[in-house]
Amino acid sequence: MDDGDNKKKKTNGRGAPGKGGGRARGRRTSPVSEDEDDEEDTPPRPRRAGERRRAARKEGDEDEDDNKASKKKRGGAANRRRGGDGEGGDGKKGRKGRGKKGGKGGKGEEKGDSTGKEKDKDEDKDKKKKKGSSSDSNSGSEEEDSMSEGEMARLMEEVEEKKKLIATMRNKPWRMKRRLVLLKDAQQFVDKFEGALGKGKGRKWFAYKVMMTKKWIKFQRDFDNFKTSCIPWERKIKEVESHFGSSVASYFIFLRWMYGMNLVLFGFTFGLVVIPEVLMGLPYGSIPRKTVPRPEQDTAQDYSVLMDFNGYCKYSVLFYGYYNDQRTIGLLKFRLPLSYLLVGIGNFGYSLMLVIRTMAKNADVGGGDGDESEFTFAWKMFTSWDYLIGNAETADNKYASITTSFKESIVDEQENQKDENIHLRRFLRVLANFMITCSLGGSGYLIYFVVKRSQEFANRDDLSWYEKNELEIIMSLLGLVCPPLFETIAELEDYHPRIALKWQLGRIFALFLGNLYTFLFALFDEVNSKLEEEQDIKNNSIWIMKEYYANFSRLTNDTEATPPPMNPADVIRGPCWETAVGIEFVKLTVSDIQVTYLTILIGDFARAMIVRFLNYCWCWDLEAGFPSYGEFDISGNVLGLVFNQGMIWMGAFYAPGLVGINVLRLLSSMYYQCWAVMATNVPHERVFKASKSNNFYMGLLLLVLFLSLLPVVYTIMSLPPSFDCGPFSGRLKMFDVIMETIDLDLPAFMGTLFSYAANPGLIIPAVLLMVLAIYYLNAVSEAYKNSNNELKKKMQLARDEEKNRRNNTDSTNQVMKDLEDLLPNRSFIPPPPPPPPKAEKPQPEAKPTKTKPGSAAKGVKVQKDVALASPNPNARGPVSQAPTPRAGPRPGRGAPAN
Amino acid sequence: MGSRASTLLREEEIEEIKKETGFSHSQITRLYSRFTSLDKGENGTLSREDFQRIPELAINPLGDRIINAFFPEGEDQVNFRGFMRTLAHFRPIEDNEKNKNPPTSEPLNSRTNKLLFAFRLYDLDRDDKISRDELLQVLRMMVGVNISDEQLGSIADRTIQEADTNGDNSISFSEFIKVLEKVDVEQKMSIRFLH
Repeated sequence: MDDGDNKKKKTNGRGAPGKGGGRARGRRTSPVSEDEDDEEDTPPRPRRAGERRRAARKEGDEDEDDNKASKKKRGGAANRRRGGDGEGGDGKKGRKGRGKKGGKGGKGEEKGDSTGKEKDKDEDKDKKKKKGSSSDSNSGSEEEDSMSEGEMARLMEEVEEKKKLIATMRNKPWRMKRRLVLLKDAQQFVDKFEGALGKGKGRKWFAYKVMMTKKWIKFQRDFDNFKTSCIPWERKIKEVESHFGSSVASYFIFLRWMYGMNLVLFGFTFGLVVIPEVLMGLPYGSIPRKTVPRPEQDTAQDYSVLMDFNGYCKYSVLFYGYYNDQRTIGLLKFRLPLSYLLVGIGNFGYSLMLVIRTMAKNADVGGGDGDESEFTFAWKMFTSWDYLIGNAETADNKYASITTSFKESIVDEQENQKDENIHLRRFLRVLANFMITCSLGGSGYLIYFVVKRSQEFANRDDLSWYEKNELEIIMSLLGLVCPPLFETIAELEDYHPRIALKWQLGRIFALFLGNLYTFLFALFDEVNSKLEEEQDIKNNSIWIMKEYYANFSRLTNDTEATPPPMNPADVIRGPCWETAVGIEFVKLTVSDIQVTYLTILIGDFARAMIVRFLNYCWCWDLEAGFPSYGEFDISGNVLGLVFNQGMIWMGAFYAPGLVGINVLRLLSSMYYQCWAVMATNVPHERVFKASKSNNFYMGLLLLVLFLSLLPVVYTIMSLPPSFDCGPFSGRLKMFDVIMETIDLDLPAFMGTLFSYAANPGLIIPAVLLMVLAIYYLNAVSEAYKNSNNELKKKMQLARDEEKNRRNNTDSTNQVMKDLEDLLPNRSFIPPPPPPPPKAEKPQPEAKPTKTKPGSAAKGVKVQKDVALASPNPNARGPVSQAPTPRAGPRPGRGAPAN
Repeated sequence: MGSRASTLLREEEIEEIKKETGFSHSQITRLYSRFTSLDKGENGTLSREDFQRIPELAINPLGDRIINAFFPEGEDQVNFRGFMRTLAHFRPIEDNEKNKNPPTSEPLNSRTNKLLFAFRLYDLDRDDKISRDELLQVLRMMVGVNISDEQLGSIADRTIQEADTNGDNSISFSEFIKVLEKVDVEQKMSIRFLH
């Protein structure tokens, strides 16, 4: 109740009118709206749909508030239903007076229910309506969820009328479109209310249905609120967005998305691989692969060793080598090797699916908002404040976000109004691209050259420090120099910052690919050498085993006695290249985390501190002058995230623990970066509006996913697994584990089935079929796109036409107004009613507006009269209208014109 | 609360307010209790300070304008009748009210009146036009010092350019209506009084 009290005073209840889904999201962040006004909390939706829904809800609310009569509810329900078609504008004419005492149910008002569209019918109903309204004024209704006899009869009549309408539809002289609309309406009405006319039971059931609809809507609303409050970090991101604009926020949204995806990967990996191994597998120290070898044991717990992920870390569940090759483990007979392989592949499958799905969904979002461009600034001006904000902090955010959105619009506007010197611009762009291609090519060659040299160096021993680390030094130098260089060159191009960001991202991406390539190259070298080494050690260890047993039997002189097994710490192991690769990736990830966090701490935080506090005693203005505060580096951060994810994808197969590390990293960096950006950075000079879908980021991610898929699949398919570590030890190829399962665990016919399925004769047609399907779907989507564009064009055309017509009548209106004074028959025309808010009615996409039935009907009638009086339909509007300056006549409102 | 209000308000007063604003009996008593709780001076009228104590209005950049809307020209006290008259702009539009008294003048909560109320918030000098200067003032209230004056000026120019159809470099009420034509004002400028 007190909430209600508070709300009363806040004038403009519904906050800012006319804001799109995005802004609605903005409003959600305010605590006031969250706990006070549930309609503020509608989740982001396409604007129109959102409004319509809101309208429907509103009706629901009112119904709840004063549920005086079932009739009213019917009106509301009917409206809701038809509101979906966007044309239930004035359906519920017949409502009864509020709270009047009286015996009988109001008559007649039900009349108009749902028939708003039918102007012709309206007309002959007017008499009844009048009767109804007069009877209404002295007889209200107080009855609860039941219908009186009068209502019943009324409804019956209504349904009959509808049926008659359906029957005679084809004889009416209407246009086909109108007929179809009416037919649909009438049929829906009959379907809906015939049940209500049943005796007793049917009526109760109907009341029940209405009640349930209401409850359902309320539940949906509550559920939406709940869902919204469940979105993690929404408020944090909103805060960043309100200060830094949507472009910076898009990074954080991307980060959140990544976190979600990694959480799922983490669930797979830990739930199906790590935890079963921990719970059911052999314990540490039981077999060689799970034991630290004796020479390493002394240092295995040292901090520096552990930080390099050697020692105990290396022989832990985090890495590939720890897993045993037993077919099943534990009481549950969990097939760990199979599960390991399937999770490895499944992670890729899931990521691919998710990225592609998200891209498709984002592409969907794109087109919805195109029609708001007409009054950008005016709407921002008049409607951006949220009148429900009562909290100072929220108000600050709102101020910031209004400012930011104005700035964004200014940038967009500047872009539109740029004076075009197309030739110069083109020349500069070509030049810039040429330069960047050159520098990319140069750095590519440099990397190639250095890698080749390092291979030469690998065979030599007398290397200086520089020669040893040449590759790393060159790589980090390139990473340092190139991005700023690209940025400088990109200024030649003079793109809109949004597009410039994309170019910048693409170019740095190309540069980083070189990085990736060298890394993989080095890794494969290492793997190959390890594989060779392994052959030696394998023979060696077998030989030592034999020696051990031979020695034992010779020493004891007892060939029968079984020797005690060797201590697992003493067994000679192979190099286990899989674990080595895993360690490499984990190290890389960890060092990446360290570098990122330190960069933020030093590059942003320390810089901000210096600029802020040294400014008091410095010779020039640090804040405005040279160092200034840092800007948030969107491209660098996005690419860092993308490449980091690539590392995770590649490394997760060899180091299941890596996914866990990454989840922790993303989680901490969400908080850390949010804090850092709010505390130490300043908004970009040109705050620009990010495109709604961050599909560009997704595209990069997809590319990286594909690139990281290749080496992993290659190793799984072609390299032999190590002989003494990991879940696949002892097999020739990793995927043998699948064959084994098919042979041993599935019934025999499945084996034959698979062997058939693997037949090239089947696979080739299958691939062909898929190609055909892709081709077909592509063609279909192309066609849809075309028709979509056509429709858009048509809509635009219709809107323009509408506007023109309105403008024209407006202009003629001035003349007509003058004429009007001279017209003799002016006095015969009944005074027109005040213009009802049904202006949207002729528009095809009109929302269900609340219309006053009396006025509508009267208005129609009046206009009809006028139309009869004057044959010129254009003259009708102005003549019928009172010459008040602020109520412009609405053209096309009169029925006869249609 | 309701009972207290109804003892303070005479039936005929309630009837009059009902007729004028369209509020229901319970809504009026409820709003009256709110009115008295806002009235710190306990003299049956509200002053500007009383309004400024409402946090939503204190924070709102247009708060002063909204408060002004409650006061008739030249007065600085508003009684319950005036209070209700202003609040009536925000009453949701209901469908049945036309049936009852069709011939009387337009109710306070019609779309046009709602828009007029909003228009008046921007029309500082009450000349039925929003001029560039008025826009600039409002803009300054809304964005503070974060945007340079030059840019603010171009925003104001741009806004007028978008909305102005008759070329007088200001926004008249009819132009204002046209700008907000697609905005669902009936919904957005309604408060659901009394649940």
